[in-house]
Parts: sequence; structure tokens; C-alpha cells
Amino acid sequence: MEVLGILGIIISGILIGIGFYGLSSTSNIIRVLLSSEIILNSSILFVFSFSSIVGMIYKPIIFSLFAIGMALTEVIVAFAAIILYYRQKGRLEVE
Amino acid sequence: MFPPTSELVQLILFTFFGIMAIAFAIYIVRAKNVFYGAVSLAFLGVSIAALIALEAPLAYGIYSVFHILLYVGATVTFLAVSLVMFKDLEVKIPKGSTGILAGGAVSVLFLITVYISLSQVTVISLKPINLTILADNILETYWFPLIILIIALLTTLIEAISLARRD
Repeated sequence: MEVLGILGIIISGILIGIGFYGLSSTSNIIRVLLSSEIILNSSILFVFSFSSIVGMIYKPIIFSLFAIGMALTEVIVAFAAIILYYRQKGRLEVE
Repeated sequence: MFPPTSELVQLILFTFFGIMAIAFAIYIVRAKNVFYGAVSLAFLGVSIAALIALEAPLAYGIYSVFHILLYVGATVTFLAVSLVMFKDLEVKIPKGSTGILAGGAVSVLFLITVYISLSQVTVISLKPINLTILADNILETYWFPLIILIIALLTTLIEAISLARRD
């Protein structure tokens, strides 16, 4: 259904806004990471919503599989950096 | 004219999961304790997987399973469990409307850009997925990114071991 594709694009647009709000309004490093995860989720939803309108099947699936694989890597690398920061500074707030 | 019953149910479920996704996303950025925010991210992931599956069950259903298994099952669980290591997880709730205005502006700009792009595309209906073609695509066309992904995941394994060590 084309309606679902358009509705999905609207939802992903709202989620991007929420994620950007989370990124810009906090100094807590973990919340910044969580907000970037919201943007990642919304971008994956956007890819599928747009692809459902233009009739693509395989490319969005392959792209998103690689994206979530890299997201897993990114979360662990970011978390290692956060732990290092916490050990050195003793807090999770950034200037 | 009303849509058929199955499409109506699909539309209602899609709207429900869409509202849930937005609610969980708002909770993530507004929760006082980031641990609960990370747990909420799991529910956001499940809602996104449901939305993707509902868009085209026969074509994208397989991906939503991977989204729950890989993203919710591995990434978010790792994030939520690892947060237990920290002591001060309480966060000040931001005040002021600058962030809300910035987020709203990004949303509006994004939707305007997409609206302009959508007016130039032709709508094509989706066919059911063929897993053989999907596997062939991954192994023959996208073999190099696959190798990079495998190496990246292996390095995270080493990193997880070094994270588990105290010093």
C-alpha cells in the first residue's frame, strides 16, 4: 500500500526530529548515543518506506543489514570510548 | 470507498506502532535515568521492525526478523546491560525551546525534501521476496562490504574482551 509508505516516511521524519532534539539539547554522552540510535532507526524506516513506494525489494534489505551490522560495531566502539572517558573524568557530562 | 478489511487492519496496526515508536523515542530523550532510555530503545527497535514488516509483509518480513534479532537482541541489550557499570545515570531534563525548535526544523526540512523527491518518482507495486536472489546478491555483488562487516564484527569481539578487563 502506497499510504503505508507515505505514513512511514512521515513517522521517520518525526523520529529524525526527536533524535536531533535529543542530540542538541543534552550534554550527557550516553543520551547523545541513544539519540543517534533513534536517527539510525528512523533512517532505516525511511529506506524501507521509500523503497516500498518505488518498488525496490533487495537493495533496502541488503543496505539495512549492513547498516545494523555496522551499528552494532559503532555502539561497542562508542561505548569503549565512553568507558574510557568515565574512567578519566569520573562523570558522563561533556563540556 | 473504504479499503478492504485486511488493508484496514494493516493501516490500524501501522498507525498504532507508529504512535508507539514516537512515544518511545520521546521517552528516550526525556527520561531522567538513561538506563530506562536504553531499555526504551529496545521497544523502539521492536516498533520499527513491526512497521517495516507491515509495509510489505511478503517482501520485508525477513528483514524485520533480523532487526529484532540483531539490533534489539544484540545492540540494545549490550547497551542496556553495559550501562549498569556506571554510577550516575540520572540526567537533568533540558529546559528551553531551542532544542525543540531545532528538532522541528529538521523534521520539516526533511519532509519537504522528501515531498519534492516523491513527486518525481513512479509508484511500482512490490513482489514477494525470493531468498535465493537475496543470497546471490549478497554473496556475488556485495561480497566486499560483507568481508568488511565480518572484520569489523571480529574487532568488536576483541574490543568486548578488552572492555571486560578492568585495566
